Amino acid sequence: MALIELKDVSKLYGFGDATTLALDEVNLTIEKGEFVAVMGPSGCGKSTLMNIIGLLDRPSHGNYRLDTKDVSKLRPNRAAKVRRDIIGFIFQSFNLLPRLTVLENVALPLAYKGRAQSKRLKQASAMLERVGIQSREYFLPSQLSGGQAQCAAIARALVNNPKIIIADEPTGNLDSESSRLVMELLSEIHKTGNTILFVTHNPELTRYATRVVYMHDGSIIHDEKTAIGRVASTARKVLYSLPQTDEEDDLAGVSALMKALPSQTATRKRSSKKKPAKKRTAKGAKK
Amino acid sequence: MLSRTHLKTGMQSLRGAKWRNFWTMFGVIVGVASVISAVSIGEGIKMQIGSQISHLGKNVITIRPSRIHGKNAAGNLSILAGTSITGSLSPDDVEKVQKVSGVETAVPLSATIGGVVGEHGSYQDGLVIGTSPDFADLVGQSVDYGSFLSADDMGQYTAVLGQHAADVMFNEGIPLGHTFMYKGKEFIVRGILSEFKTAPLSQDANFNDAIFIPYDVSQDLTNKTAPTYEILAKPAQAKTIDATIARISGTLVKAHGGAQDVSVLRQDQTLANSSQILDLLTVLITGVAAISLLVGGIGIMNVMLVSVTERLHEIGIRKAIGATNRQILGQFMVEAVALTLGGGIIGVGVAYAIDGLLRVFTTLQPSIQWQIVVISVGVSLVVGVLFGTIPALKAARKDPIEALRSQ
Ligand SMILES: Nc1ncnc2c1ncn2[C@@H]1O[C@H](COP(=O)(O)OP(=O)(O)OP(=O)(O)O)[C@@H](O)[C@H]1O
Ligand SMILES: [Mg+2]
Repeated sequence: MALIELKDVSKLYGFGDATTLALDEVNLTIEKGEFVAVMGPSGCGKSTLMNIIGLLDRPSHGNYRLDTKDVSKLRPNRAAKVRRDIIGFIFQSFNLLPRLTVLENVALPLAYKGRAQSKRLKQASAMLERVGIQSREYFLPSQLSGGQAQCAAIARALVNNPKIIIADEPTGNLDSESSRLVMELLSEIHKTGNTILFVTHNPELTRYATRVVYMHDGSIIHDEKTAIGRVASTARKVLYSLPQTDEEDDLAGVSALMKALPSQTATRKRSSKKKPAKKRTAKGAKK
Repeated sequence: MLSRTHLKTGMQSLRGAKWRNFWTMFGVIVGVASVISAVSIGEGIKMQIGSQISHLGKNVITIRPSRIHGKNAAGNLSILAGTSITGSLSPDDVEKVQKVSGVETAVPLSATIGGVVGEHGSYQDGLVIGTSPDFADLVGQSVDYGSFLSADDMGQYTAVLGQHAADVMFNEGIPLGHTFMYKGKEFIVRGILSEFKTAPLSQDANFNDAIFIPYDVSQDLTNKTAPTYEILAKPAQAKTIDATIARISGTLVKAHGGAQDVSVLRQDQTLANSSQILDLLTVLITGVAAISLLVGGIGIMNVMLVSVTERLHEIGIRKAIGATNRQILGQFMVEAVALTLGGGIIGVGVAYAIDGLLRVFTTLQPSIQWQIVVISVGVSLVVGVLFGTIPALKAARKDPIEALRSQ
């Protein structure tokens, strides 16, 4: 049985004329143990999809089965418990609580589970060792580098032994070295049997995935299995076909993706890994 | 619903901004401190009056002009009785009371004011009381030096001083045999009384400030105009005190031509009068203080509402990693309760400090009873729960995505 099963899932925001269709009848089945990369231009609904799969949000229409149970209309408190027990979140901006130490941050999900303090801290400490930043246990999040902060966030996501890890642009705020570190860590976690979904704008990172899902305008437009260690074929085309013009990033991403999609011949033009870096600055400027 | 985890997370959030928390708690601190102070000052005065009376002895009958009854409206204002007396007692009344059966001794107290010149200078506030030799025995007061007025002193210009009066009038500690001038006569000091226990707001004159002279001398000097403001009587038998009171009352009504312008009370009844006024005052002040506690609660609600908005992102993170609505509710409730409870406890501390200061700098002796401490801390807790609920519910019901998106 599939671990995640979305059937005709739609998500609408707003009312009347201002309605946005963030997800448009998405069908997606993810088996246990898959390592799925989700790609697509900004605003195509990747985060919305992650939030619905992660039970932070509810679909407006359609059916969602998680671990064979229908969770499309779960009440907030039930959803919180499911999140706590089988889902681990990793965010682009780390989202560690600034006033708690790294150790306390990592132990927090266990606290909500009602674990005793000593047990919590021990488990959290072990988890920090696993992600390689045990020496920073008593630091505050503000005293960590971006890579270290994301490692702490990963430790927090892992501490409850979740079945699914959902990472929305986990490397979005990191340089290439830290990105590699974080992705290696996720890879390792994947090897121990976890199912991982991550959103990325960087085609290079599809080399860690077993499957790549492309989205556009709220729909999944392409879905391919790929071998670990190799950039997915479609993604590679995107990577090599990005125009050199300084056009708006998202538009570039879309047009490149559309071109790269099956039966399209792509022009081989190298554009290096400039895209994720530019994406970052564009986002930063918006905020 | 409230686990230790809630407590910890709640307290952790408070750890940061200490001063802000202090000002948040300020309303509750003031409220609790003033409730406790108001009640304990009232309680203290009651106890002081009580000890003054037990010192005088329960079996002393007090006869005063004008009927002071707990039940009638005039009686409720009897705090003014010492200054605005209607009706009067005369030297004849003293003799009549003396003769009532069941009365062992009757002692008049007449007051004349001013005009005392001692060695140390004039004594402006000098309260000169004319009384008879039995006074000291009747109120159970001893002399520190010399002796009280005796039967031989009647008609003589002799005086016995209260401690404070002695301090003010003379340079020396023990002015026995020294003299002072009053209404053109030279009085010799025969004795110094030991200190009277006094109570603030008491209807009784402060005898520590008084100069006692023979009753007949005080009448002669004033051409019998010195008002006799009180007669103290001692019953022969304590058991029949009520019957004796009734007889005294009857005698005086008859003597005054049927007018009921004199009150005859047991000491514990005068206490009841004082208590009523005090209770009324205490209730009033406590009411005002309770309102400030309420305002304090609203202040905390306000701060908590702001804090919920400020910490939306934190709420989002907590929800994303699995905090249920109930757990978020618990966290914010704990914060509100910790603030009010903290304010309550600091308020108790402040009340004790006020108590100490009052004891040092005034004659008040506030008595902080554990019940009022428990009650006011309890009330501050309830205030926390009441006013913490709205912000906590607001926090708990936030949509996780919306919360996460806010920065
Ligand atoms: N709360 C909301 N109210 C209204 N519209 C929303 C809301 N959240 C998302 N949307 C809309 O839904 C669409 C999908 O948004 P989503 O955040 O899923 O995009 P995304 O693929 O994650 O983009 P990015 O790569 O920039 O993170 C967008 O058009 C967005 O404007
Ligand atoms: Mg997104």
